[in-house]
Amino acid sequence: MEFFLISTLNGVIYGLLLFMVSAGLTLIFGMMGVLNFAHASFYMLGAYVAYAVSSSAGFWTGLIVAPIFVGIVGTLVERFLLRRVHVFGHAHELLLTFGLALIAEETVKLVFGDFPVNYQMPDALKFAAFTVFGTDYPFYRVFMGIVAVIMFVVLWLLLSRTRVGIVVRAAERLPQMAEALGHNIPVVFTSVFGAGAALAGLAGAVAGAFYPTNPNMALELGVIVFVVVVVGGLGSLQGSLLASLLIGLFSSFAVGIDWSAADFLALVGLGEEARSLGGLLTMQISSISATIPFALMLLVLLVRPAGLMGERG
Amino acid sequence: MRQVSLIAIALAGSFTAAPLAAEPLKIGIIESLSGAQTSTGRMFANGVHYGIDKINAAGGFNGEPVEVVEYDNAGGPTEAADKFRQAQADGIHIIVQGASSAIAGQLTEDVRKHNIRNPGNEMMYINVGAEAMELTGEKCHFYHFRYTSTAPMRVNALVATMKEQGKLGSRVYSINQNYSWGQDMQAAVKADEQMGDYEVVGEVLHDVNKIQDFAPFVAKIKAANPDTVVTGNWSNDLLLLMKATGDAGLKVRFATAFLDQPGNIANAGETALGHYIANAYDNSAADSSFADDYKAAKGHFPTFVEPQAAFAIGALQDALASISSDGGEVDVTEIAKALENTTYESPVGPISVRKEDHQTIRPVVVSQVVKDAAYPADGTDMGFQMVKVVPGEEAIYPVQPSCEMKRPD
Repeated sequence: MEFFLISTLNGVIYGLLLFMVSAGLTLIFGMMGVLNFAHASFYMLGAYVAYAVSSSAGFWTGLIVAPIFVGIVGTLVERFLLRRVHVFGHAHELLLTFGLALIAEETVKLVFGDFPVNYQMPDALKFAAFTVFGTDYPFYRVFMGIVAVIMFVVLWLLLSRTRVGIVVRAAERLPQMAEALGHNIPVVFTSVFGAGAALAGLAGAVAGAFYPTNPNMALELGVIVFVVVVVGGLGSLQGSLLASLLIGLFSSFAVGIDWSAADFLALVGLGEEARSLGGLLTMQISSISATIPFALMLLVLLVRPAGLMGERG
Repeated sequence: MRQVSLIAIALAGSFTAAPLAAEPLKIGIIESLSGAQTSTGRMFANGVHYGIDKINAAGGFNGEPVEVVEYDNAGGPTEAADKFRQAQADGIHIIVQGASSAIAGQLTEDVRKHNIRNPGNEMMYINVGAEAMELTGEKCHFYHFRYTSTAPMRVNALVATMKEQGKLGSRVYSINQNYSWGQDMQAAVKADEQMGDYEVVGEVLHDVNKIQDFAPFVAKIKAANPDTVVTGNWSNDLLLLMKATGDAGLKVRFATAFLDQPGNIANAGETALGHYIANAYDNSAADSSFADDYKAAKGHFPTFVEPQAAFAIGALQDALASISSDGGEVDVTEIAKALENTTYESPVGPISVRKEDHQTIRPVVVSQVVKDAAYPADGTDMGFQMVKVVPGEEAIYPVQPSCEMKRPD
């Protein structure tokens, strides 16, 4: 029971964090179809901006400035770089944004140094929210979860219930038609990209104070955010949330499980043989927990290529 | 052509003793200077530069200043192999590298092959930080020197010191990264069970620097109820693990190998207090002469892997000084033989090379994170305080039987 409850709690919160980082990418990659490999760099940038601002103007100011700054950077990137290569397709976008990601990483190192910077949450948020089975549950984890949930609700309402949402969805689905109806599609695209970047910036500002803010933080999450969007289904916000939660829960439970393939073979009386072979057969699930998202992606792509809640395909 | 010119030089040297153009000793640093491991690679390079500046301040070698070239291996063995070929072409005599055992595995093989193919024109490899056991095991060869400790040395020192202090407890948890280094650590923790009079209540290997959320691992550690957690984790894997443990309010003591990586103490905060580390050197373990001199040269006190890199080049300096250089070609085999016989007096004790496998026998410093430290870390008021310097003879482990070193004639 203790294992189940704690693993669920950890998994849900980690899943929400993943959603927070990938929500912007759902807009950018999922809806607009822009292959933005630098998305996690926006996340990193957010954390560093928040760190720089918070050291003089306080944590909450940092939390507000970071998404605005990163949103502006994102807008500029779309307007002056991505728009030029968009017509040439995904390969060019990938190359451009991959280059941007590398530049962002090295720039951050030049400005802030190679080591993690000391970006801390305010002391007012440093307390245990509650205690489960003798383990303190840090409030900040709950806080991150709440931010992610708010992000989801606001985005979902915006996209499904407002006029802005209708225009954005129309621009993404039938750009020519929307343009013919008098909407400025390039401006819509730039704004959506900027908003996506701003969301990543906010995620960085929030998560950077909990996980260390270092030059590798983009690298660490760079691929997983794509996994979330692909598993969830391109362009589906609900899908991204579902995929994030699934990945969070799977990762969390996998760590606590010491099973190996040999244990399963033991059920049919082949345990000894499997153990004597060693290698993959005796590898415990917990030691490969970080690969689970990718296994999940493989499975989803095989069974349901459009993703869990994707509409296409 | 090269053969001919060599003969010509030999003849010239033996018969006429005419003044020849002295060949400068060339050292190549093939290090992770970009990419994810920059923070570590740059520190190794810092220490090496400090050491080479010392050699040159003392007159260089062979009548010429020692030349140093930096090559960026971008954190991967493939790029490192590329840069090795570049170094070969540049006429590098000694390559130095420390960050990542995977890269070291590539480089040591490259050096071995180079030496088979180019007799009389050897290269040597001073390994200042790669700790995988195989480098002095099945991959050992005469031209590789390891100027760092390994997993058994660190664990032996940690266990002995913490036990002496009554801080080890009887239940030990081992959590490590799933590659050669982490596996070596896990094996070393298991091997010391008897010596340390403890029980390994759980062991975990996890992916290397991919895990963002250590809370599930902390839940697992808590379930095993250990007194001490031994981990060889470095970078994010150590920081996140410590933070997650602290956030959960779990009271365990950490015995670590890389806690002194810059940024760790500041980011972990109060959680880090009381944790142990075993490494090559700590500023609090010796008088301040080395620390002050390093600061004068580099602008900060030596930290993390800088000291061990500086000591390795210090040993090289002693070795070079023992060779009577006559201003001709650089003889790498002679330098290697001299290095074998060099005992370098580091600020914390002598460092010598074990001839059977070229592992250095060296003191291991065990320190603890304290408040109001003499040398504060990361701009905090916390820092490391030496607990014990374990002498080399006590920390060393037997030569691995897998090492079959072929010595040059």
